[in-house]
Amino acid sequence: MKLSIFDYGAGNLHSLIKTLERPGVTVQVDTDPAVAVTADALVLPGVGAFPAATRALGNEGRAVMQSAIRAGLPTLGICLGMQVLFDASDEGGDEGLGIITGRVERLHAARVPQIGWNQLEPGAGNDTLLDASGLRIAYFANSFVCRPADHHTVTAWSTHEQDRFPAMVRVGRCTGVQFHPEKSSTAGVSFMHAWLREVQA
Amino acid sequence: MLTRRLIVCLDVTGGRVVKGVNFVGLRDVGDPVALATRYEAEGADEITFLDISASAEDRATLLDVARRTAERLFIPLTIGGGVRTADDVARALRAGADKVSLNSAMVADPSVLTACADRFGAQCVVASIDAKLDEQGRWRVWTHGGRTRTALEAVAWAQECVERGAGEVLLTSIDRDGARTGYDLALMHAVSSRVAAPVIASGGAGNAQHVVDVLAEGHADAALVAGILHDTVTTVGALKDAMRASGLVVR
Repeated sequence: MKLSIFDYGAGNLHSLIKTLERPGVTVQVDTDPAVAVTADALVLPGVGAFPAATRALGNEGRAVMQSAIRAGLPTLGICLGMQVLFDASDEGGDEGLGIITGRVERLHAARVPQIGWNQLEPGAGNDTLLDASGLRIAYFANSFVCRPADHHTVTAWSTHEQDRFPAMVRVGRCTGVQFHPEKSSTAGVSFMHAWLREVQA
Repeated sequence: MLTRRLIVCLDVTGGRVVKGVNFVGLRDVGDPVALATRYEAEGADEITFLDISASAEDRATLLDVARRTAERLFIPLTIGGGVRTADDVARALRAGADKVSLNSAMVADPSVLTACADRFGAQCVVASIDAKLDEQGRWRVWTHGGRTRTALEAVAWAQECVERGAGEVLLTSIDRDGARTGYDLALMHAVSSRVAAPVIASGGAGNAQHVVDVLAEGHADAALVAGILHDTVTTVGALKDAMRASGLVVR
C-alpha cells in the first residue's frame, strides 16, 4: 500500500512517518496535492497554521483533494489536518476542503493554546480505532477546534476548561483527530496501526 | 480535563547525556535516545533536551540527536539551550523537536517570540525563565545560565512572554535548582495565577511529595524533574503513582 503524507512545509514529520512505516506500507511525503491523491491513503499532518496550509493547497489542489476524498480516498487528518477537512477557519486563510460541514473556531477558554494530555469522552457510538488501541488520554497542542454542524460525525469529545470540542470525527472513509496520535505514546502508536489496518481491510 | 504532566529533562552535549553540578565535573550518563525512550516507557509525559554545549561543534550534534530521538520517541520532545533566532527554531523543529524553548535570546530581543509564534504557532514556543529572589524579596530574571542579572521582574516578564506569543512558560528557580529541598511554591503560584499559559515548574525536586506539592499548591501544570531520576533517587513510575494517589489527574 502506498501512503502519502501531504506536507504543507511546516515542520516535524519524523515521529508520524515512523508510526506509519509498517510491513507492506510505503510512505511518501508529497507537496503536490495532485501527486498525494494518487496514493492508496492520505494523511494530512498536524503542524502549522490554517492560512499557510490552505495556501499550500491552492485552489486547484483543494479541488483535486476534495474530489479524491469524496470519492472514498481513506484519509486521516491530524490536528490542523483535521481542521483542513472543514469549510473554513477563524484563524483566517482560504477555504478548507469542506469534507465535513462546519467551521473552525478559537477555543473558548482562558488558557489557549491547550497544551497537554486530555481525556477522550465517548461520542456517537463506539469508535473502532479507539477501542482497538485503548487510547483514552491523548496529547493535544491546539488553539483552534472544529465545530461540525452534525454532531453524529463526532466519535469522541474532549473538554478544555468549559469548552467541549470534538476530539475525533468520522465521515465515510475520512477520519479527523484533534489530538496527536504520533505523540500519544504506545496507545497513540497503536491507534495509527489500527487506522492502517482499517485502510488495508 | 488536561492531566498534570511529568517532564523529564536531560542535559545533552556532544551527543551524550551528562550531569554535573554547575557545569563542573560533567559525567557521562548515557545515550540520549536510549534514555528518552526508557523514560517514555516508564510513563514520562514529555522529554526536554537542554543543550549545554560550550562549542559550536557540540551544538551541531544536538540536531542529529533530535532526529534520531524523534524517530523512536512517541511523546513530545522539547529542545532548549542556545536557541537564538526563528531560524534556529525552524532547524530544531525540522530536526524533530515538537517545541523549542528560548531564554537569554528573548530577553535580548523579545520580538523573537512573536516571530516564532507567527511562523510556527504558539504551541511550540516555550519561554524559559530563570528566576532568583533579590535583596528586596522580588523574583528577578537572570540569563546566560544564571550568570547575568537583568532588570526584569519574573512575574511581569512571564506575562510579557505569553502576550508576545509563548505557548508555555518553563519557570526555573535558581535558588532551588539542584538543592532538592522542594520547588519554589510561591514563585510557581505567583506566575501560574497571572499568566494564561501552562507553567512548567523546574528546580528543587527532591522527592515525590515535592512534585505533588508544586502541582497541587503551586498550581503548576507540569513538573520538570532531572537529577533525582538520573541519580535513581526515585523513578518516573513512583512519581506518577504519587501524583495519582494525591488525587491529581494524570495519564
